[in-house]
Amino acid sequence: MHKDKDAALVKSCLKGDRRAMSQLVSQYQRPVFNAAYRILGNKDDAADATQTVFLKVFEHIGDYDQKFKFFSWVYRIAINESLNQVKKRRSQEPLDDGQASSWQGPAEELDADRVCKKVQDALMSLNVDYRTVVTLKHISGCSYKQISEILQLPEKTVKSRLYSARQLMKKSLLADENQ
Amino acid sequence: MTEKNQTGQGHVDQYTIQLINKNIDGEISDAEKAELDRLLITSPASAQLNEELLAVTRHLDEVREINPPSHLQATIERQVRLPVNAVKNPSRSAAWFGASWFRTGLALAAGVVLTVGVYEMGSGPIPGKDNSSLVGTIAKKANQGSLLDSIQLNTVNLDGQLKLYNNDDLLTLDLKLNSAASTGVVINFADRGLQFDAASSENLVVDNLVSEDGIVSFDSEGEQHFTIGFKRISAEEAPAPLQVSFYADQLLIEEAELIISRY
Repeated sequence: MHKDKDAALVKSCLKGDRRAMSQLVSQYQRPVFNAAYRILGNKDDAADATQTVFLKVFEHIGDYDQKFKFFSWVYRIAINESLNQVKKRRSQEPLDDGQASSWQGPAEELDADRVCKKVQDALMSLNVDYRTVVTLKHISGCSYKQISEILQLPEKTVKSRLYSARQLMKKSLLADENQ
Repeated sequence: MTEKNQTGQGHVDQYTIQLINKNIDGEISDAEKAELDRLLITSPASAQLNEELLAVTRHLDEVREINPPSHLQATIERQVRLPVNAVKNPSRSAAWFGASWFRTGLALAAGVVLTVGVYEMGSGPIPGKDNSSLVGTIAKKANQGSLLDSIQLNTVNLDGQLKLYNNDDLLTLDLKLNSAASTGVVINFADRGLQFDAASSENLVVDNLVSEDGIVSFDSEGEQHFTIGFKRISAEEAPAPLQVSFYADQLLIEEAELIISRY
């Protein structure tokens, strides 16, 4: 994805160039926010996670290994941060079966796109490991290999989780259509 | 390969499920695709599962991206502190500053600076050669030239004024700062056709001054007056403004951009 451009921007950031930082934030805040949103199911939490992700990215940018793609590194931080938030939330208020309906997108979005609501509900009904893989594959458009890099899991595990997740989503997504 | 999938019309083995999913993800080989096509014709359960998983994928692919809150980028940028050399390891400079050998060296350096200062008054500017380990010296103050840009600082933690002057190929940044707590000042002049020339403060020594890789950084506390000199070493067509960032407790508290173009 813009590997050379990213590498140049990272180099400039290391020299303290805030314009380069701004460009990287501009380029990645949307995908990071969307991935966090699909995992957390809440826009405010996703915004908080996105903010924390970028603070961590630039705090540790000196440690970034340019052998790897910058977006993979950012996504890894994003996924870890989202999973941390899920864990925190679990310890504060355990999720129950009603969690799927706690989706807090703006009302107009819900009305305008019932498919999105349905998919989000189906995503939220999955366990977080499955949800993460589906998000990276279908929302972020990553390949098996990229997901494997981001989650630091064998490709075999990625595939297995993805296939199982789809099977589970089939039940909730297609239930209405089959009736 | 014994795991089975319940479709209502029969069972689908794990291998077929894998092929269906690989096909959906576009990661199936030609040989596997041929085999899947054969299986879909011969097994109604497999065909049904294929249709269902394709429908799930269609739903997932219909999900639209949503826009992040409009203030998010600005909020992030306000909070990000780039790990610039001297700023990157504040503990390192603090450790150096606290070391007895460093304090002794600094006292000697201050003596040298004072001597240089006296010499400076009668002999003109010190040529800026290797400033990479400069702790503090005297920038020439006479005839700073024409004012290029100026910015007033007015925050809770810091106030003051920045003025940028140009005289031939010399740029002089004049900083009058007032902060109750220690404030890190980071000037980014990288890729702007500039070279660090010299720095001075009214206290003669600029604390922890580091000039490296297009960045000059130092600390300021209380009422201070600094003068930082740069030389134009190449003619950039439209150089980016000089960036001056101020930090307190590792957080960016203010940022200023001063136009360096003469035209």
